[in-house]
Amino acid sequence: MNDKNANNNENGDKKTPLYDKHRNLGAKIVSFAGFSMPLYYKSIIDEHLNVRNNSGLFDISHMGEIIVKGKDAGIFLDYVLTADISSIFPNTITYSLILNENGGVIDDLTIYKFSNESYMIVANAANTEKDFAWIHTQMLNLQKTKTDNGQYMFQNVTVDNYSEKIGLLSVQGPKSRNIIYPLVEDISDNYGRSENNFCNIFNFQYNIKSLKELNHFEFSCVRFKEIGIEALISRSGYTGEFGFEIFTDADDVGKLWDYILEHKELSNLLPVGLGARDTLRFEAALPLYGHELDETITPYDAGLEKYLSKNKDFIGKEALEKIKNKDKKLIFFKLAGKQIPRHLQRILDENLKPIGCVASGTYSPLNKMPIGSAYISDSNVTPSMLKNFYIDIRGNFEKAEVVMPPFHKIKK
Amino acid sequence: MADNSKFYFAKSHEWISLDSNNVYNLGISDFAQSELGDIVYVQLPEIGKQYKKDEKIGEIESVKSVSEIYAPVDLTIKFVNSKLNETPELINNEPLGEGFIAQIELNNSSDLSSLMDKNSYESFVKSNHE
Repeated sequence: MNDKNANNNENGDKKTPLYDKHRNLGAKIVSFAGFSMPLYYKSIIDEHLNVRNNSGLFDISHMGEIIVKGKDAGIFLDYVLTADISSIFPNTITYSLILNENGGVIDDLTIYKFSNESYMIVANAANTEKDFAWIHTQMLNLQKTKTDNGQYMFQNVTVDNYSEKIGLLSVQGPKSRNIIYPLVEDISDNYGRSENNFCNIFNFQYNIKSLKELNHFEFSCVRFKEIGIEALISRSGYTGEFGFEIFTDADDVGKLWDYILEHKELSNLLPVGLGARDTLRFEAALPLYGHELDETITPYDAGLEKYLSKNKDFIGKEALEKIKNKDKKLIFFKLAGKQIPRHLQRILDENLKPIGCVASGTYSPLNKMPIGSAYISDSNVTPSMLKNFYIDIRGNFEKAEVVMPPFHKIKK
Repeated sequence: MADNSKFYFAKSHEWISLDSNNVYNLGISDFAQSELGDIVYVQLPEIGKQYKKDEKIGEIESVKSVSEIYAPVDLTIKFVNSKLNETPELINNEPLGEGFIAQIELNNSSDLSSLMDKNSYESFVKSNHE
């Protein structure tokens, strides 16, 4: 037996540090993005509704963290990512895409800015290695390239994959603050005092807001009382609800998971698996890489053009400027019947002519009906004009209707 | 359903059981429902239709997956549990009881001997899925 076996399952999947805890809680384990992850503990629907009504705790340690540092880190990320990165405020987060030269989406990410010289990219688990390799290669290529005036740029950048060193939990739902606030101690003034401070890896340079002052897409440092574990905590999530994402040392994340679960009555919290993570993100109409996004889809197709900066050049920009018409149009729909649309099923117009494919399809626990998204690839079809159309669900043509997302805000 | 009713299980995870009214019921096992998770749709078999062993008689859809229901033996559908149209979660809650799928007639009653009793089915599940 070698060391690797400790972190891998028999099927070669990786485990997060919480794998045994999920097993002990009776979770149904599935393979997702190369990790053995909990799909649900008891019920996707119950876990979903508990996040909408109370709160839920997610292990999302499978997600990737790539830390980019150095004097040139900001201008480097501005070139590699589509959104404005170097110009955002320190201690805030931005959402961005990373594109290939053709304008196809390599990944969608969030970027944490600590200072002009320190950033963290949070990547989809399935894409972390691909993103890291891409970003690292871009760095090496740029460092070899002379500018017009004979200078070498981007000499002062480092790119490091911290994914296995950082554990990540998410607490989501309207009551999330009821459990998080009492369990943490504000260390935003003195996070740098102790030597083994987790937050030191981020090289903060500016004053940090305290947890209770945070707006959406801002972050702070806290220490969890009693267990003494320090963490980076952001007001962010993937559910459409108020919530937090909590980064801590991978060696401590198990203790933190237990500590939060021990106090679950503070917010009627339940552990929540990836099944409800997907139904929650989809009701909130948040894109999922591999469904709404992939390397054949441009940001225009996905309706994400607002994350393309007009202020700078970035990889993929030139290709995007040549695109006149959208190849595909993303629509959201609901179904009158009960069968659930699934990824890649055909969309048919009223004459049963194929006009596109399902991107995501699921059951909406909140609306108690099947819902989905689809790419319409027939350029003659205007989504807003789409009246009668059908999803080919294993040979049954199920009637669908276009709706404006998000689904969790639709009034019944 | 009477406590002493005997259940016969198929490798495809359906069961058949004779209830206290001497009627054969058909459903899916507790293991099958727990593998599927929250059930949100059941396509019921056709009343009056004869099905051959291993023929597809319906479909069960959960939030994450779809699974086919097969005839464990040659059978005829006499009655379907139409409560499942509105409350498919009955299968999750009571897979061996209120969550039954149909009442059936066996086309050849000796076929039941080809199925497993509760103990054999449990060891079958254990050896194949753990």
